[in-house]
Amino acid sequence: MILIYLDPGSGSFLIQLAIAALAGLTIAIGSQWSKIKRLFNKKKAQNDENDDEDEGD
Amino acid sequence: MMKTKAISLAASFRDPSGFLFTRQGVLYRQVNQAYADDYKRLMESGLYEKLIKTGLLVPHTESDIRPADEKRSFKILCPERVPFISYPYEWSFGQLKDAALATLSIQKRALVLGMSLKDASAYNIQFRNGKAILIDTLSFETCEEGEPWVAYRQFCQHFLAPLALMAYRDVRLNQLLRVYIDGVPIDLASQLLPGRSRWNLGLSTHIHLHAIAQKRYAEVAVLDARGGRKMSKEALLGLIESLRATIRRLEWKPAGTEWADYYAASNYTDFAFEHKKVLVGDWLLKIAPKTIWDLGANTGIFSRVAAETGAYVISSDIDPAAVEVNYRRVKESKEQNLLPLVIDLTNPSPSIGWQNRERDSFLQRGPVDAVLALALVHHLAISNNVPLERVAEFFSSCGEWLIVEFVPKSDSQVHKLLRSRVDIFTEYTRAGFESAFGKWYRIQSSSAVRDSERWLYLMKRK
Repeated sequence: MILIYLDPGSGSFLIQLAIAALAGLTIAIGSQWSKIKRLFNKKKAQNDENDDEDEGD
Repeated sequence: MMKTKAISLAASFRDPSGFLFTRQGVLYRQVNQAYADDYKRLMESGLYEKLIKTGLLVPHTESDIRPADEKRSFKILCPERVPFISYPYEWSFGQLKDAALATLSIQKRALVLGMSLKDASAYNIQFRNGKAILIDTLSFETCEEGEPWVAYRQFCQHFLAPLALMAYRDVRLNQLLRVYIDGVPIDLASQLLPGRSRWNLGLSTHIHLHAIAQKRYAEVAVLDARGGRKMSKEALLGLIESLRATIRRLEWKPAGTEWADYYAASNYTDFAFEHKKVLVGDWLLKIAPKTIWDLGANTGIFSRVAAETGAYVISSDIDPAAVEVNYRRVKESKEQNLLPLVIDLTNPSPSIGWQNRERDSFLQRGPVDAVLALALVHHLAISNNVPLERVAEFFSSCGEWLIVEFVPKSDSQVHKLLRSRVDIFTEYTRAGFESAFGKWYRIQSSSAVRDSERWLYLMKRK
């Protein structure tokens, strides 16, 4: 356990673990799914990859 | 050699990594020895460069001046100063939302490069050149394998809870942030949100289930609660993605509130309006202020006239809808020197926090070179019963120059304010106005606004 200066809260830690496990799984499935899609439709998959709000880096 | 005094800033004392201080008016940040490894990692991992490139972190240079606390010091940084410090309870919905998304964007980039935000405070985000930016360079720590995000709870309290309340209940609920300096408590947000928010998967987990978990494990230590469970990098990224999707879906549209359609509905003609713009523009060019507060700015039409002269303009209004419209314009036109804020002049932001010194009051963040008070005095004098002399005193405490508009009782806007009440305002005449303001100011110029009964004045503080 590392030293932290904010109290993360026990309940907040637990709920985070639960949500993250689910969300992580969704992302894993999502990335597999886009690989499958890419096989069928190269153009579409490229558009999906660009669908990100991040400021082009 | 004369020793110059270092003044520590009252807002930065919680984090043992370092603190801010000023010396001879220049802002510095001391990095303590305890934070040396994390600082090196930030600079060497490529994260700093990446965040600077994307405009998400305030740039700094390393300085060799004498530290404020020599024993603990590792390095002194000289950060670029943002022109005006504003607080989340002064932001419109869109501003708070963009600040939240910027925080998540930063956390995602940090995770990819093996670091993580150790706090997610809304007060660490400011607006620079019209964009949300992190100003606390010491917010990063090395991400330990398997560790959850320590700032998750703080993120939910500072960003998600108020945004959800604004979108689902009432946009004015961001004012809760003024009461709760560490963000809206999750259990309170859960109680105040309407039942339909439970159908939103993000809110039902990050707020409602979160509140239940907090209550249930309130007496359990973090280590016992976890029972050795680890969190993978994918899970951490998944958490960020889940928060991001939840926040992106929250919407609030300004419609039908107070004055947002003020310009469309007001009684004076386009000709008068254009004349007002010309007068304001000419006077501002003459006095060339560097900083301006446009008080009661509505959607910021005259703030833009002011910004075009090159000044930095705070464009404040009491109406969150007007400020939202104003902020959207800043984004659309990529305006750099204009910051819209929600400020109630009859009760401006007080100084709050530890010793009442953590967050400055609105007036402490002044004074500025010039104040614009257009179509405002009648609201303060008539709706809020402030004597004209007191209105003048207040403006004079905000800045040296004043451009002020007098709207007479015969104008339909004032007529509307008086419609449902007894007219006790015998002093509210042009002569009464000039004499009251004359106690604090010297009138430099005045002009009737063409095609209307209104008058515009340029005044200088005595």
